[in-house]
Amino acid sequence: MKPAPFEYHRPSSLADALELLADLPDAEPLAGNQSLSILMSNRLASPDHLVDINDLDELSYVEADNGSVAVGALVRHREIERSGTLAQALPVFPEAAGKIAGPVVRNRGTLGGSLGEGDPAGNYPCVAAALEADLELASAGGSRTVSADEFFIATMFTDREEDELITGITVPRDPFPPARTGQTFLAVKEAAQTWPTLSVAGAVRVDDPEDEEPVLEDARVALANAAEVPLRVPGAEGEIEGEPLSEAGLAAAGETAYEAVNPEEELHADETYKRELAREYTKRALTTAHDRAVA
Amino acid sequence: MSVDDTGRSERPTQEITVTVNGESVTAEVEPRLKLSDFLRSHLELRTVRVGCEQGVCGACTVEFDGTVAKSCMLYAVQADGREVTTVEALSEDGNLHPIQEAFHEEHALQCGFCTSGFLMATRDLLAENPDPEREEIEGALADNICRCTGYQNIYDAVETAADKLEGE
Repeated sequence: MKPAPFEYHRPSSLADALELLADLPDAEPLAGNQSLSILMSNRLASPDHLVDINDLDELSYVEADNGSVAVGALVRHREIERSGTLAQALPVFPEAAGKIAGPVVRNRGTLGGSLGEGDPAGNYPCVAAALEADLELASAGGSRTVSADEFFIATMFTDREEDELITGITVPRDPFPPARTGQTFLAVKEAAQTWPTLSVAGAVRVDDPEDEEPVLEDARVALANAAEVPLRVPGAEGEIEGEPLSEAGLAAAGETAYEAVNPEEELHADETYKRELAREYTKRALTTAHDRAVA
Repeated sequence: MSVDDTGRSERPTQEITVTVNGESVTAEVEPRLKLSDFLRSHLELRTVRVGCEQGVCGACTVEFDGTVAKSCMLYAVQADGREVTTVEALSEDGNLHPIQEAFHEEHALQCGFCTSGFLMATRDLLAENPDPEREEIEGALADNICRCTGYQNIYDAVETAADKLEGE
């Protein structure tokens, strides 16, 4: 359980970090180290260089204006869990953050690390897919923006180039006016330390929360650990959009999710069980999001 | 306090200076040396338990840079210029800290291997939430595994510790 030897670098600015990532062969960024260290301890990863980005305060921000919410890559799970700004603007983020491991892990783990790991069971990848987040990537050569949809390619395989660093994400606020929107993140999980068997991020916007039968203008569902990428299920969303929430609509959304997933079988969860979880938790997430939108 | 690591390794090392339990320590370490191994083996702080070495068990939990962290998921080089606190710093003049007293009184340990991690996590919880609900206690200790007690006595001990600290 000891990692292979590596050289350690601790740059104090983003520019210096990007130079190091550009110049050093086989270098990995080191942030919260709550996943990378496990890979390295088990010798599943043995980078020659670690570029410690923990001193890059410029990547530690949570900002919301009228148009979008921006969160820096170095923001810790614990900070996201407790962010008043996010609780108000995009409450699914704090809820998802609070369901990552326990508080000791959340003290260190970062948004960028979780996204960069590209684990389809991860909480933030699922939320990013549901909310159509954009990821900001920087390298010594410049920066670019990639949608969550394009970023996650396969299990632990993303669009990030080796010399690039995730610097943050932005989420458009337009689809999620707090007064008419409900969001939730649900996880089926045995213990804090284990991966979820399945998780789901859900969001619902209604036309008028005061109305007796408010119409669902926009619905979002994404599932984690249900395919080799965080899986948005537009078909399920379409089943309930454009009308008031109904049992029939929820049932159809659940069935769509059951068919859409492509889950890996696990020791305590065979494929059928995970499909059934996808069906049930899609319904639960949409119901909870709806109830919060009209509350 | 200083540590002589001469001959420990022929691989490249880096010099670090860390404040451990209030004392400045300078040492030459390999970058891949985990903070947990640095504390336990190099500095002989035996309350730092090396269990799973991959962030699951919580036995190596210490205070790092103002928050609790699993020291097997930090490299000692990362602690350069920073502060680390271990259970050794809890007791004063041979007297148990109120949290340690509470764990003793409530039989919150059997083999004791996990106890240091629970003490540090409890200390962190009570520092910011002096009167936690049972559910909050369970959440705060979710990163720590105990294979003996079944946790109930540990949760009781945290409640007792909260009462003791409140009475101080």
